[in-house]
Amino acid sequence: MYVLRRLPSLLATLFAVSLLTFLMTSLLPGDPALQILGAENATPEAIAAVRADLGLDDPLPVRYLHWIGDALTGDFGRSYRTNEPVSEAIIDRLPVTAEIGILAIIIALLVAIPVGMLSAYRAGTRTDKLISSTSFGLLAVPNFMVAIFLILIFAVWLGVLPATGWVNFTDNPVQNLRSALLPALSLAIAEMAVYTRLLRTDMIGTLQQDFVTMARVKGVSNRRILFRHALRPSSFSLMTVAGVQVGAIIGGSVVIETLFALPGVGRLLLEAVLVRDLLMVQGVALVIAVSYVVVNFTVDILYSYLDPRISHGRSAARV
Amino acid sequence: MRGRRRPVGGPWRRAVVSAGLVGLLLGSAACGGGGDDGDGDGDGGTEVGAVNDVSDRGDPVDGGEITVGLEAETSSWLPGEGTFNQPGINVAYAIYDPLMHRTADGDVEPYLAESMEPNADLTEWTLTLRPGVTFHDGTPLNAQALKTIFDEYLTAPGANTAASVDEVTSLDVVDDLTVVYRLVEANAAFPVLLISSPGWPFSPTAAAAAGEDAGANPVGTGPFRFVSWQRDSQLVVEKNEDYWQEGLPHLDRITFRPMPDEDTRLASLQSGDIDVMQSLRQSTVIRARDLDGIDNYEHLGSNSGGGTVNTSKPPFDDVRVRKALAHALNQEAIIEVLGGKGVTPPTTQFFSEDSPYYSEKVADSYPAYDPDKAQKFYDDYVNDPERSDGLPVGTDLSFTYSCPPDPSLNEVAQLVQSLYGALGAQVELEQVEQATWIQKMLARDYDTGCTRVGADSDPYIVFNAAFTEGPLNMTAFQSPEIDEQLDILRTTTDIDERKAAVEEIGLVINENVPNTFSGGTLTVMAAQDQVKNLDGWVFPDGTRGNGAASAQVMWGHAWLAG
Repeated sequence: MYVLRRLPSLLATLFAVSLLTFLMTSLLPGDPALQILGAENATPEAIAAVRADLGLDDPLPVRYLHWIGDALTGDFGRSYRTNEPVSEAIIDRLPVTAEIGILAIIIALLVAIPVGMLSAYRAGTRTDKLISSTSFGLLAVPNFMVAIFLILIFAVWLGVLPATGWVNFTDNPVQNLRSALLPALSLAIAEMAVYTRLLRTDMIGTLQQDFVTMARVKGVSNRRILFRHALRPSSFSLMTVAGVQVGAIIGGSVVIETLFALPGVGRLLLEAVLVRDLLMVQGVALVIAVSYVVVNFTVDILYSYLDPRISHGRSAARV
Repeated sequence: MRGRRRPVGGPWRRAVVSAGLVGLLLGSAACGGGGDDGDGDGDGGTEVGAVNDVSDRGDPVDGGEITVGLEAETSSWLPGEGTFNQPGINVAYAIYDPLMHRTADGDVEPYLAESMEPNADLTEWTLTLRPGVTFHDGTPLNAQALKTIFDEYLTAPGANTAASVDEVTSLDVVDDLTVVYRLVEANAAFPVLLISSPGWPFSPTAAAAAGEDAGANPVGTGPFRFVSWQRDSQLVVEKNEDYWQEGLPHLDRITFRPMPDEDTRLASLQSGDIDVMQSLRQSTVIRARDLDGIDNYEHLGSNSGGGTVNTSKPPFDDVRVRKALAHALNQEAIIEVLGGKGVTPPTTQFFSEDSPYYSEKVADSYPAYDPDKAQKFYDDYVNDPERSDGLPVGTDLSFTYSCPPDPSLNEVAQLVQSLYGALGAQVELEQVEQATWIQKMLARDYDTGCTRVGADSDPYIVFNAAFTEGPLNMTAFQSPEIDEQLDILRTTTDIDERKAAVEEIGLVINENVPNTFSGGTLTVMAAQDQVKNLDGWVFPDGTRGNGAASAQVMWGHAWLAG
């Protein structure tokens, strides 16, 4: 029911996203025909021929309807630059970005949950202050700097992990994980700091609530109080932000995938933008936007499992 | 490691000689580090011009595999469809063979072709193929294959080769192994075209079978067969056991990886993730010089940093303004900003010291940095009642300087702004993305800005594009003297006559300054020292090739020491 109620607004969002994506890419200065031909071959006749071939001379609304009509059937067209089908390019690359992103979130949560809880439990102590200042420090370092340091330490000095060279999971799962580790870690560092800060704040609030005091009085161990009683009610902000931060991870993937030479969606997008590969840009941007909306929609639904007391009507207002 | 610097013949010798020459030209400015050829004291990072720091190659060894880190991915591997820059040409030379190639002396000779002969007036070129050569799919390489490629791919509507093969009115089959290229008019430089993608035969049967996906499934005659390609990740080729050149290739397998980031590409070479690395960026070239166990194959290309001036627009239509702009540019300071101080020589013409077309006379004629002269030309124009922009006498110039958004170009633009500002000009800086910038220059909708000047192509091709009525004349500069010399370049193959013509054109350019120059561009192929012979390739008849010029390698000739 709840899903059905949210559906119209979801569709409206997706429509707006598709329209904006299309308009923004179409209004970019720089002629794709020129990019395809290269400056030395760009005679006016050749440019006119390419533009006609690509339908670039049609009015914008016609081009949009063509594109969105085909996109709804899963046909995003063929890349101007590489002639590969856009949908195939995205399907080939999505697993790489997804793997790095999910791995980054897992690493960030694995570190942030215990550290955030420790920080809340020891609020105000030296441990808490150390954790807080470290988090702020990590937040302030941009991911490409983190990446370069990680490469220097793990690839050049220690030689334990490869700096570059993606291996597909299906080819060799172990090598795949090795090639994904440094990029994921580069993305995870900032997330880790955000998650730690959030969990700490929420958990300090939870630990002051009556049911925790009650549990303490009953003699329940600290460990049990923290993990079994306090963690779940303290996770709402963390959940919400983890959903919203998917956007940051996708944004970060543009930089990280270029640095680590990974064949992911972020790098695909960057290169498509640089050469005005409009259909590719539109397709990738649409897929990213859809994944983002879907992830946050899912987070929304997950609230009810975290806390059945929250009705969907109110939880919707939180996002 | 440093003790084995070993200039041997051909391009190496020329590189080192030119390094010395430029050292002399720079005088005391270069004495800080450039003079001593870097023997043993680890200052390899400060030598002027191209340096080849290469270990002994020993005897060829068969077998082994290597991984090569390239600057960028290529859009498609099908000639006519793909845009082949330095990274792409490297892969192409593994899978395809160029019909023609360049020798160490700069001549263009048949490589895959057996011979290439013009008729008396240079309007028809007869190309003969070698017997018995087949594509990787078994299709024979014959005259009909060349014709099909020409008719159905290179000249197809929308093919990016259509403009460059425009001068060929038809390609006709003479017999099984012979074709004739008939040209619109005489062109002595025509064979140069067949070094690049229009001269890389691919299997027409395989391309037809692959249809729209032909660009992802290249089938050539080259030393290596295509195995697999994951875009933006890697392209794998393996030894072509039936290669037409006996004894080649030496390697079993090569993996090419596009790695756009300079730092990680260098780190990957250091950590051993890759065996060979390509770089076209000064700062990386210099850093690669200081790595242990790494051989550096450098090349100073004719592609130089510089500025382009829109001579169709006042005040730039007046040569005094253009001279003022040129004399005001402090080349050394710009090179320093670009990270090439003491390494990259200042440029004065379209062809680098490593090119046979380089001229001392042209070098002397360049309006080099001289603030006083610049001011004189500037004041002369500004105070001229007849000034072309129609503004009142004494009004300072005000214009835009455009550059693509690159951090070092940004710094260059700021420096240029202050240098022009010192004359009294008001310069507004504009950042335009590469794609937009090229378009603005083609449309002549700009004042002046950053660009690359010069190319490692034939002078006729370079100057004909740059200074005639064609659409690629970004500066809008033309001159009857240049047209006259272009006619000579077009109609003679005599190298001395051609050099003289190029010199004349160079003098006209430096007299009229439609372009300014900053510094040349060093390129490098840096390799683990067990990877050998990246620059030692030879033609089938034993003539020495042009080495690893512009960081392009003929991979069939490379090997891995045991």
